[in-house]
Amino acid sequence: MNSEQIEHEGIATAALKVDEPASLELRAVTKIFGGLKAVQGVDLVVKPREIVSIIGPNGAGKTTVFNLITGIYRPTTGDILLNGKSIVGHSPDKIVRGGITRTFQNIRLFNNMTVLENVLVGQHTQLKTGILGALFRPPRTLEEEEKARIRAIELLSFFGPELVARQEEYVMNLSYAERRRVEIARALAANPKIILLDEPTAGMNEAETLDAVKYILRLRDEIGLTILLIEHKLAVTMGISDRIAVLDYGQKIVEGLPEEVRRNERVIEAYLGKQGAESVDLSASEENN
Amino acid sequence: MSIAVRSSWLRPERKTRKLLVRWLVALLVPVLVFNFAWTGEGIVNNVFLGLFAPKLTNYNYTLSNSIQGGLFILVFYAVITALAGYLTAADSGRRSNIEIWVGILFAVVVPLLLVIITGDLLIGFSLFAIVWGLYVVGRRYVLKVLHYTPPIALEHVETLDEEGQQRLLDRARSAGFWFATIFALITLVGDIIFFALGSLPTILLALVVARTIIFPLAGYFLGWLGGKMALRHALTTSTQAPINGAGAANARRWWVRGRKEQLEHLSSARAQEEAKDLVPNDTPLQSKGAWPFYLVLLGGFILFYPVLDAMLFGSGTNGRLSGYANLGYYIILALGLNVVVGFAGLLDLGYVAFFVIGTYSWAMIGSGQFTHLTQIVVNPQIWSWMFWPMLIIAALIAAAWGILLGAPTLRLRGDYLAIVTLGFGEIIPPFFLNLDKYTNGTNGIVGIYPPATPCIQGVFCVQWSSFNATPFYYLILALIVLCVFVNVRLRDSRLGRAWVAIREDEIAASSSGINLVNTKLFAFAAGAFFSGIAGVYHAAKLGTVAPSDFNPTDSFVYLSMVVIGGLGSIPGVIVGGVVVYALNEFILARLDTIAASPGNILYVIEHTIPNFTFGNVRNLLFGIILISIMLFRPEGLIPSARRRRELHHKKEDDIVELDALDEPVGAETLEAEMQVE
Repeated sequence: MNSEQIEHEGIATAALKVDEPASLELRAVTKIFGGLKAVQGVDLVVKPREIVSIIGPNGAGKTTVFNLITGIYRPTTGDILLNGKSIVGHSPDKIVRGGITRTFQNIRLFNNMTVLENVLVGQHTQLKTGILGALFRPPRTLEEEEKARIRAIELLSFFGPELVARQEEYVMNLSYAERRRVEIARALAANPKIILLDEPTAGMNEAETLDAVKYILRLRDEIGLTILLIEHKLAVTMGISDRIAVLDYGQKIVEGLPEEVRRNERVIEAYLGKQGAESVDLSASEENN
Repeated sequence: MSIAVRSSWLRPERKTRKLLVRWLVALLVPVLVFNFAWTGEGIVNNVFLGLFAPKLTNYNYTLSNSIQGGLFILVFYAVITALAGYLTAADSGRRSNIEIWVGILFAVVVPLLLVIITGDLLIGFSLFAIVWGLYVVGRRYVLKVLHYTPPIALEHVETLDEEGQQRLLDRARSAGFWFATIFALITLVGDIIFFALGSLPTILLALVVARTIIFPLAGYFLGWLGGKMALRHALTTSTQAPINGAGAANARRWWVRGRKEQLEHLSSARAQEEAKDLVPNDTPLQSKGAWPFYLVLLGGFILFYPVLDAMLFGSGTNGRLSGYANLGYYIILALGLNVVVGFAGLLDLGYVAFFVIGTYSWAMIGSGQFTHLTQIVVNPQIWSWMFWPMLIIAALIAAAWGILLGAPTLRLRGDYLAIVTLGFGEIIPPFFLNLDKYTNGTNGIVGIYPPATPCIQGVFCVQWSSFNATPFYYLILALIVLCVFVNVRLRDSRLGRAWVAIREDEIAASSSGINLVNTKLFAFAAGAFFSGIAGVYHAAKLGTVAPSDFNPTDSFVYLSMVVIGGLGSIPGVIVGGVVVYALNEFILARLDTIAASPGNILYVIEHTIPNFTFGNVRNLLFGIILISIMLFRPEGLIPSARRRRELHHKKEDDIVELDALDEPVGAETLEAEMQVE
């Protein structure tokens, strides 16, 4: 790492760079909870280094798709493939080791731990110390812990110096936007190839949203991550996605480039209802990007 | 010997003088009370006489007793003198003198007096606990009435340059010197009075003279030591967060230079915690730097207790020591349960099962039962040595059972996990009862060998028997130190972090790459490991074991020790263990005996209310006390910082958006019921 590689704010990115980008595929994934068909026959392909957004009304099954991918649920039928290999039935931690991490819709951080500790937990899969190392603390363990600490600080520095300065703060004392960033830093700590972001700009105002969009793009551009996004703000999705998939009542109704999706009638209907769907350009109904 | 005389000795600067008076009063008063009211002086004199003129003392002093007593006194006075230095150096002086003096009065003088009056260590302390409770409530009320606002944390944080550090050291040195000098003078006067009254043997005058000369000198250096300790926690200009390594150069670009700047970025809740650890600060008595002094003092007291007990209380030492040795293995059980319940957050209501397993491991192997089972005849003298490897082996066996019994609970949450563990707690004792062939059923196993130690006649030979509790006392101390060490290492490791993560949020932990199954199993295994150690010790000490010794309800006692002490906090569970056990075994059990002597207030209570004895209401009282502690201090007696935050968290003012946006409209509630498959 020399200073030329680090031209702007990203410091840790060189260390995080994904060498072999990964692809994700969902084939006819269905999830049925008792009588409820949460997800029905969803096909999706996410190519390496793509940003794909999943949009749709609330209750459409978007977060369920994320939970299926990360192993929290098991698909009733269908297959999920990471680089061509099925990951159905793997436990969430095994999927993290496979290279997929996620953030949550309502930020699930470890509230009573400090910022730094949260990111250190994220590095769990990257560290090797077991119970014997914990007890006897051989030099290898001490070295590993020190490196982990430095790496955690570097990860926090991806977002600039503010979080680094507040690394000893308990996360419950941080502001909402800062907590989102810590969650992303924690997700990055596991050295993922694919990252799933569940409504990363929820609750943010325009300036914060712009900021978030910038660092999401940096995730792809600087680190080489493949990104799957759930997003409600259409301006954001239209702006950064390579492709958009639209879900409604558990089914994928449209998939394609942002322009195509924007003009699609079914999508407009799903969002605005039959009456509101009088050849309205969707993105014009949103705030300007 | 010549010592350069500094002007700072003789005329401390103004700020130092103010702090000196404060701490001299605060520390001198309790030390003098200890000295003259409760045998501190007596111990010194008796030790001296024991060494040089044994005929003049009443006690039966051996060389080792005298040396131990002497060591304790040395440690005691040295620590207090150094502490005087530390406190003066660490104090920023913003809080009032009265607060400190009243606080120390209640924290040190009152328990001392109570113990003297009641003549019993634990009864005195339990009365003190009540008094302390009243004091805390009263103080809170008084402060509210006076509209007192504490000074803002971190406001006066200053970085010390070379000159500032030197001033700190000078302050500490003069504090140690003046404390020692004044103390030596007061005891000199006291001894002269005793001598004039004829109650001081002439030979002790030599000691008095020596002490009056040595003490101020010692004070000078001990004060310096206190100052050095203070500097370790002081913010000096060279304090930078240490980073080294390849990524450091880059991380350093973003590193906020200096600890002071870092601290300025913290929220006020966090700042209060940090301020307590920095020197100078407003609460030096509670600061991190003062703790080593307290620990050395406490450690000295505990280490030399067998000797001190005879000096302080006279007779009955062995019985007391035996009781404390039993308390010891309860502490180890509490430490083990703390790993499962405190660190990992898995509610285990059947912990007694592992204790039974540990006990029977040694009972079956280290006794005649072994020959009975395997037909191998062993020499008891030699076979007793198996105690030491069995400590580890039984612990590993218990850990294996921990994994076995933990496995079915893994997919369960909270209450369901608790019920399954409760089931195991009910199953295992009868399981051992019914394995007649191996465990001798209801008759139990007798004649369990005590541990074996090398015996060199005349020099060092330890008698392990039920009449001599002292070796068992020291053994359990060593085991407790070992267990605390293991606990601390586990807590501050990758595994410990994983446990806390699981406790906080299982799904987030799982999504961060933590293998829930393995980590939880490890928690059960680690917890059970400690109970194996406790079990082996218990079997060896008691000498006999029977299934009726164990009760499923014991699990709740262990759990209450952990919760009352402070979930997840290591000093907390130790104190919790002491409190619950002492309450049950020592205090409540003896209320009837105390009430028997007329003139005691308890006698009156027992006789005015019909059909009332303290024995009858013992469990009622125990329950009431536990409930009160949980109502007023749910985070436990010595909570871990985390736990206190969990239970008393006050949200920061600057977070406004949080609650309103936590649940977007139509958020899928299924997430809340997720089971990790």
